[in-house]
Amino acid sequence: MLSRDAEHLYWLARYIERAENTGRLINVNVEMMLDYPIDDSLGWEPILEAMDSKEDYLSGHKHYDEANVIHYLSRERNNENSIASCLHNASYNSEFIKDDLPRSAMEELNNIEMNFLKEMTTSVSKRKRAKNIYEVISSSQRFFGIISDNFSRGYAFEFLRLGRFVERADMITRIIDSICNAEKKEGTIDLSTLEWVNLLKTLSAHQAFRKVSRGEIEKESVINFLFKDDSFPRSIYRCLTIIHKSFLNLPKNKDALLFIQKFLANLSRSRIGKYENTKIHSFVDSTQKKISSIDQIIQKSYFNN
Amino acid sequence: MKKNSLINYLDKGDSYDEFYGDSLTVRKHAQKALNYLSPLSLEDLQDINLATVSAIQSMGITFRVYQDESNANVNRTWPLDFIPRLIKKEEWKLVEKGLIQRVKALNLFIEDCYNKKKFLNEFNIDESLVLNTSAYKAYCKNIKLKHGVWSHICGSDLIKGEEGDFYVLEDNLRVPSGVSYMLENRMVMKRVLPDLFNKYGVNPVDDYPSKLYETLASVSFSKSKHPEIVLLTPGIYNSAYFEHSYLAQQMGIDLVEGSDLEVGKDSYVYKKTIEGLKRVDVIYRRIDDDFLDPDVGNPNSTIGVRGLLKSWSQKKVAIINAPGCGIADDKAVYAYVPKMIDFYLKEKPILKNIKTYFMNNKEHREFVEKNIHSMVIKPVAESGGYGIVIGKDLKAKEVGPVFRKIRNNPRNFVAQPYISLSTSPTFSDGKIEPRHLDLRPFILSGSKNYVTVGGLTRVALKKGSSIVNSSQGGGSKDTWIID
Repeated sequence: MLSRDAEHLYWLARYIERAENTGRLINVNVEMMLDYPIDDSLGWEPILEAMDSKEDYLSGHKHYDEANVIHYLSRERNNENSIASCLHNASYNSEFIKDDLPRSAMEELNNIEMNFLKEMTTSVSKRKRAKNIYEVISSSQRFFGIISDNFSRGYAFEFLRLGRFVERADMITRIIDSICNAEKKEGTIDLSTLEWVNLLKTLSAHQAFRKVSRGEIEKESVINFLFKDDSFPRSIYRCLTIIHKSFLNLPKNKDALLFIQKFLANLSRSRIGKYENTKIHSFVDSTQKKISSIDQIIQKSYFNN
Repeated sequence: MKKNSLINYLDKGDSYDEFYGDSLTVRKHAQKALNYLSPLSLEDLQDINLATVSAIQSMGITFRVYQDESNANVNRTWPLDFIPRLIKKEEWKLVEKGLIQRVKALNLFIEDCYNKKKFLNEFNIDESLVLNTSAYKAYCKNIKLKHGVWSHICGSDLIKGEEGDFYVLEDNLRVPSGVSYMLENRMVMKRVLPDLFNKYGVNPVDDYPSKLYETLASVSFSKSKHPEIVLLTPGIYNSAYFEHSYLAQQMGIDLVEGSDLEVGKDSYVYKKTIEGLKRVDVIYRRIDDDFLDPDVGNPNSTIGVRGLLKSWSQKKVAIINAPGCGIADDKAVYAYVPKMIDFYLKEKPILKNIKTYFMNNKEHREFVEKNIHSMVIKPVAESGGYGIVIGKDLKAKEVGPVFRKIRNNPRNFVAQPYISLSTSPTFSDGKIEPRHLDLRPFILSGSKNYVTVGGLTRVALKKGSSIVNSSQGGGSKDTWIID
């Protein structure tokens, strides 16, 4: 397989997954704000921070008001990580490889972009906005559903899978970080249960979590679950296991396999659930760095000849 | 039978019509198609048209148009008229032979021009006819290619004249495009008009990709039974990218850009894969000669591969079509094709050539000037219909300036008698009316020869117009070779 094709497949999957996760983050935060009697700024700043977008956002805006932040995260084309930009980049990458993918998957991709970009104004009603973002999430799931149903296992499949799960692992860390950031700012009021439930909802993890943990939903069990659960596909541990599996089916995989095995062992050993917020934050930071190392290994092994 | 008022053929004009003969008698082979179309209401026809458009959209068949103002380009839905163009098999068999004969002679001519120049010497033709053109590449001198083939894929444009005979209008020997639309048109028609399909024994077209693959494999210099073949595209913004991607996928080969390839220290060409560098034996290139290699052609080319032509001249990689093969699709060279067939093959030409007048020949020029209203003037080195002057459309005061321009650079122009393109019924503005068309079959040459079954029929959708190019409002038809 051509290096360039592999790279397009990898990024196609990353951008679709990123659009989906950004959508999840927005929708759940909107819901949370309804339950959450504080002003907008406290609710939206941590999200921008977790997405590494705070500075960029502040260069164009003064306040963290909901309408502007949501517009920035979903439709602002100058924000290279907005849903609109992600969809645009996904469709750009797909141009090169469209004849290699199932036609129905390509149709799904065209539909996401067309439907989402149809309404590009800031003044969309809240109800419509949520529905619109929900469409992106379900289209992304349909896209990957078609891939896993109708696509032969081979290199192309593995690069899509790598892209999807590298991106997902990265986004999970960011979503966790946004909650920790919020707590840090809030300080005095204890909002824990609500926040941890929302965190689980963002990741569609509420049901899965309930299967393994009864009783009160509190930080330690949620953090442990999202980092270390070995069967739920939106835990970091599970994402890494899937990435590991993909590497097993690819050539030149020695460095990658070794790195991930160490990474997994390190995760299992950690007692992250018991950490203070600041320590969680730095653990999340180092996890993010390791995920980006996986990305670099992929680039080096397969894309840059 | 009741005549359908939607078939509007009263002002058929003087052109040869492929369904209706003199005084609107129906040609025998068209009877079944007309029986099918005549009883249909406007609503029926619009339904079929809509089904055609939506099939094309859902299959994602597009072509890219460059837009001047915004400098952006857009993908447009491919235009297909659902009324097929019909050609009888016995007629086609002869055309097929004629095309193979023609392309054989053209290939021999190209190799001859780069070697002993026997043809030019024999007929005392001024060498500058070939050597002083931009298509001539000095680096091809003394090169001989496998099977003697330079233009492995040729797209010749055919028209039917007033008497219903095919003429060759031009041969596109460099990087002809359009074949994917021929294949996709057939897929659409099978979905849209299966019942009409059944009434005719329509000969299938879909073996083209496998024949193309065989042709590409047959010119490989490597001894491997499965040579490594790639299709080299300028990229997604090229107007024919749809076709590049389609053909690569159909043949199961990699679609590469220049940056995916490199020439190694051993002068072999390699592609960059996830497993590392992998040797390439055959390159089906869809970029122009001058952009293939910045070391030799345009130094600013970013779509080519440095060192590629050196590798080619050492026979370490095969390039298809071969660089430099454009010398034979010059419109002045066109005039000599019948002579080439006689000279190289000792055969009589099967297909008609249009009589061509050289503007650097005084007698010819004076004849053309006198008869300008029945003539067409063409620049020799242009393609795609650009720069053509149609004599009958000229106003009296425009004639002078045209010939002044010609006299300034007579080698750059030829003239031919004006031939009215044949017509065929076409659905347009709610009616079925005659529209002008041409035909581009594709001829493959390698260890074997092959001609597409029919080809891409292009049709001018505007009433009376002869401009069939899709970039200028032309459409297409599925071409049915029928038993």
